[in-house]
Amino acid sequence: MAGKSGRTIANVPEKSLKKTVLCWEGMLVILFIVINLFCGGISPSYQFANVLREMPKYLTEMFLLFPMAFILILGEIDISVGASVCLAATFTCMASNQGLPFGAVILVCLLTGVACGFINGLILTRFQELPPMIVTLGTQIVFRGIAEIALGSGGSVSLSNADGFRKIAGKAGIVPYILFVVILMAVLYSVVLAKTTFGRSVYAIGSNRMAAYYSGIPVQKIRLIIYTVTGFMAGLAALFLTSVLYGANTTTGNGFEMDAIAMAVFGGISTSGGKGRLFGGILSGFTIICLRIGLGQINMNPQLILIILGILLISAVLIPNISAKLKLKKKAA
Amino acid sequence: MSDYVLELKGITKIFPGVKALNNVQFQLKKGEVHALMGENGAGKSTFIKVITGVHKAEEGEMFLEGRKVDFRGPRDAQAAGIAAVYQHPTSYPDLSVAENIFMGHEIIKNGIIQWKQMNEAATELLSELNADFQATDEMGGLSVAQQQMVEIAKALSTHARIIILDEPTAALTKNESEELYRIVDKLREDGVSIIFISHRFEDMYRLATRVTVFRDSQYIGSYDVDKITNADLIKAMVGREIKDLFPKPEVKIGAEMLRVEGFSRLGYFKNVSFAVHAGEIIGLTGLVGAGRTEVVESICGITKPDEGKVYLEGRPVQIRKPADAMKQGIILLPEDRQKEGLILSWGLGRNVTLPTMGKYAKNGFNDEKKEREISKQLLEEVDTKAVTIFDPASSLSGGNQQKVVVAKALGQEMKVVIMDEPTKGVDVGAKAEIYQIMGNLAMQGYAIILISSEMPEILGMSDRVIIMCNGRVTGELSRSEATQEGILELAMEKSK
Repeated sequence: MAGKSGRTIANVPEKSLKKTVLCWEGMLVILFIVINLFCGGISPSYQFANVLREMPKYLTEMFLLFPMAFILILGEIDISVGASVCLAATFTCMASNQGLPFGAVILVCLLTGVACGFINGLILTRFQELPPMIVTLGTQIVFRGIAEIALGSGGSVSLSNADGFRKIAGKAGIVPYILFVVILMAVLYSVVLAKTTFGRSVYAIGSNRMAAYYSGIPVQKIRLIIYTVTGFMAGLAALFLTSVLYGANTTTGNGFEMDAIAMAVFGGISTSGGKGRLFGGILSGFTIICLRIGLGQINMNPQLILIILGILLISAVLIPNISAKLKLKKKAA
Repeated sequence: MSDYVLELKGITKIFPGVKALNNVQFQLKKGEVHALMGENGAGKSTFIKVITGVHKAEEGEMFLEGRKVDFRGPRDAQAAGIAAVYQHPTSYPDLSVAENIFMGHEIIKNGIIQWKQMNEAATELLSELNADFQATDEMGGLSVAQQQMVEIAKALSTHARIIILDEPTAALTKNESEELYRIVDKLREDGVSIIFISHRFEDMYRLATRVTVFRDSQYIGSYDVDKITNADLIKAMVGREIKDLFPKPEVKIGAEMLRVEGFSRLGYFKNVSFAVHAGEIIGLTGLVGAGRTEVVESICGITKPDEGKVYLEGRPVQIRKPADAMKQGIILLPEDRQKEGLILSWGLGRNVTLPTMGKYAKNGFNDEKKEREISKQLLEEVDTKAVTIFDPASSLSGGNQQKVVVAKALGQEMKVVIMDEPTKGVDVGAKAEIYQIMGNLAMQGYAIILISSEMPEILGMSDRVIIMCNGRVTGELSRSEATQEGILELAMEKSK
């Protein structure tokens, strides 16, 4: 039954170079370059090899950015990831100190993370009326509480034998292994989000959960998977963090969740769900890391760096709003 | 002294790029109820906003009781005794009824709000309207019908002489509509003149003495309600003759597709059983709250029934969530297009292929090219008024949004299509197109369940009508047996 009006509807996507450059990600590429030139200008030691050497301790947070982007696009939030990192790192160090083989230590680390994520996912999918912010606030406190009990009165644990971890912290030439893992994960997560039915379902749930559900999207299954994977990534972050710090304490992973959210939002991923691309989050992640390294090299006060990052974040949220208003005004005129 | 309490001449309103009103006229007699009809986008709402001073017309004159007036804003219109009650009341849900009624013109003495006096005045207004709630009740706890009553009380509190009702019955049940009719009758007796916008012919026949039709931003004509036929009115609104509003094709009814047995869910429905066959359209009707939507939601796994079985082509099936229902070949096109049917911010194409993307995907990767082809084909099949498949769903009118929802069902090998109020808020032209699509689906062998509160739709499209009342099936009528009276009797059986 062809439409009786014979109307045809175009289905060829429009492509324009202007749009590609002017999108948020295009701006971030420019910003990334500008920040690097700026850092190179203020710090003589801001050179490729040095930046790569300092990168690992910041890169651990990137592991959390990827799943956090998924959760934000779902229209939800997970603020327990920092605590999951702390718990996983604590158990990892303790397992290693018990003399377990390194393979088993890695397993303990990843499984602890998976367990944390799975618990979040289970609560949130069983009791769907609970807000993720509150549930993960609760589990954050619980995970940290368990870690603190395990850490005991000293509040910290050091690796007695760091051989395995030194290998993880190694380099291929001047490039640290962790950078390869981050890039691999970045590609993997970006492709899943942009190209697969799973990724499209995530956007659908974040844009209109009811419509997605009525369209046969397995909403709860997808949420459970994403929260569990988030836990896995927290475990991975804990593994690499331990390989940099050779230990864990009660403040390990503090604020990681907020840094991951900040990177994602700065990358154009909306906290209200359904919007943004992971590429933006990755770009903003690297931009923030480079700025931190550059400012750190000139011995800028760390608190001042935080203030600068905070201001950048608020501007990132403001700019699209302002430009949208300007466009409206232009249209009205 | 003019015959008309309100008269507008040669009104033209231009928005950037469009003429929303083109040289329209309108006359309202004192104490009459005047229906304003037309398709969505005909300019009715803009016209109302000109009258209430929200928009300023570029050209034209407006006379109030013969005197030329020139409103600079809504306050001027309010002061002149004109008030509008909108479909979705713009109220303050956390405040009391009295506060809502007197919002903006509170009773104040020496800068202090006179609560006692205000509550008394509000109570008096409410009792005039026979309201079944208190002036001190919280607004948010009221039903839509009650909130509208508050809006009407608000209009009366400003001593409005002209009240405009914008689609007041769209969100009301049958009983609530009756209550509204009664209030309108009372207002008219008190000498208030009323302009009434509605898509429901029923409203017009029941209330209005005259009707004015707009089409494509232009004035088409004003008619006496008792002198115009339905067909002429539709022609005036649509601009073409719709020979058959309900193009129900003769379809040979095939094998049983879906059967529901002993379906119960505590508090919603009890012991519901029925079957639908290939090529058959069954109308599932009853008053709002009879449990129709709840039954089909349980069939599709949105809610869990306490008891009962679902059979598809004779086999028992387990359905726990909508995804299961779709795998089996049952799709529900929900009543609320905007909340449950579509992702408004997405393009049409992606909306159409949302339930089926998995089918086209290769190893979990979306086949975007194929999706674009399929969605173009399906959107053209239902004759959607859109330029590209990338247009956001929010840019379409209600009728066209509904067509997109239907297109979602077409993309898959479905056996049973359940449509919940498919023409709600849709204008008459698009309605006819949706019925056409429904008929075509039946011809292709789909089994269709049509849930509707609109009697003509049920009578016009169904092979069989199943009537529910208070969660139970109270009767089943064949196409030849079904009459408006017969259905109503069964629908109200136990609510008496």
